[in-house]
Amino acid sequence: MPEPVDQPAVEVRDLTRAFGVRKALDGVSFSVPEGAFLSVFGPNGAGKTTLLKVLTTLVAPSSGSARVCGLDVVEGAVELRSRIGLISHNPLLYPDLTAEENLLFFAEMYGVERPEERVRELLEAVELDHRRLDTTRTFSRGMLQRLSIARALLHRPDVLFLDEPYSGLDPHAMDILDSLVASIRQHHTFVMVSHDLEKGLELCTHALILAQGRVVLFEKREDIDERAFRATYRSVVGMGVS
Amino acid sequence: MGSLSWRQFKAILRKDIVMELRTREMLTSMGLYAILTMVVYQIALVEAGEGLDVRLVMPGLIWVAFIFMSMLGLNRSFVHEKDQGCLDALLLAPIDRPVIFLAKFAGNLLFLLVVEALTLPVFAFLFLQGRAGFGGPLWMVALVLVGASIGISGIGTLLATISVNTTGKDIMLAVLFVPLQYPLLRAAVGATFAAVIGGPDATASFWNWMGWIAGFDIIMVLAAFGLYEFVIEA
Repeated sequence: MPEPVDQPAVEVRDLTRAFGVRKALDGVSFSVPEGAFLSVFGPNGAGKTTLLKVLTTLVAPSSGSARVCGLDVVEGAVELRSRIGLISHNPLLYPDLTAEENLLFFAEMYGVERPEERVRELLEAVELDHRRLDTTRTFSRGMLQRLSIARALLHRPDVLFLDEPYSGLDPHAMDILDSLVASIRQHHTFVMVSHDLEKGLELCTHALILAQGRVVLFEKREDIDERAFRATYRSVVGMGVS
Repeated sequence: MGSLSWRQFKAILRKDIVMELRTREMLTSMGLYAILTMVVYQIALVEAGEGLDVRLVMPGLIWVAFIFMSMLGLNRSFVHEKDQGCLDALLLAPIDRPVIFLAKFAGNLLFLLVVEALTLPVFAFLFLQGRAGFGGPLWMVALVLVGASIGISGIGTLLATISVNTTGKDIMLAVLFVPLQYPLLRAAVGATFAAVIGGPDATASFWNWMGWIAGFDIIMVLAAFGLYEFVIEA
């Protein structure tokens, strides 16, 4: 596991995002260094997905600031998009394109050089080269998730965002995803949103608990008292939607 | 357009064409709708008998069919982008939003023109057999089709992007689309009428209506292009 360095890969300052009168994020602040693995926990409606959408430039903040790779998510959005990847519980793949066509399409979107070569390399890495000519509509959930990882890695991003990546996977598919994440862990910063406390704590270097759009707890992994952390998590799960 | 934008434009257009050729969702639904509408028109006009010069009502009938047919296709064009979060994947890429507009616009225009080209001969067969044909040259009809389809696809691509994120998107598209298309529809019917009737007076009228169509196309496509970033990220 890489030793995190001190330059922040993700830096959030007093971030607020409102939808009408409801604040999905309310004064959120934290930062994690390059090479870190941040696990974000919280009940449904805590603001986890909104935080991920702001950090990936899909939603603009209402106030406050967020920087990823040193780039502001609003001012530097276009440049930032080429340096981040998203692996979601939704595969973000076209069901009527083949695995190869999907990856080639996104390679063009990111301006990847020698796209055919890169796609072949990634299809081999996720062990889907034998299904490269099949439409993804025919893929199992686990296969879609592996292809989704290949899609997210096409342009060699610096920071990877994972939105409930283990959701709906069978144990075998989870093992494959674990080994893929481990194999790329060395070279990336991760931000993972999850309900799975065990998995999140196992992987993280930093942990964050959100509830009602606010930071309830943010700690380095080595500072975490697991019993107190679990108690805090259990208490916020009952807090519901902000 | 920079080289990356050009690559992205081609990739989105190619992707839409490949997916359409594979699923035929847009072409089938639009084509079937147009043909069924014509059959209904034929039944509706059956009592008019030989006394009716069908050329007088044909331009209006054609454009009513094409306007509603185009809404079916425009709705479909964004539904597959929403499947499995593909629109988010597109927005995550370092792509200028107007490039997405241009590519989707080009795809919608292409599919609309293909269906129009396939269904217009069916229309002529059903309504003009045994009667007088087009009074003007066919290129005039083709020019109206291309001109009006540019406007339909341009503003339709923008409105389909708005409506795809709303509940009741089919109704939402119709509510927004038809009033905005009114001036284009009027000009398209006028130009098609002139092309079908033919003659020197009709030629002057044709070019007058084509001027309106060109003006609408320029204003609406530029407006849609300019507004697209705001709309797709809303």
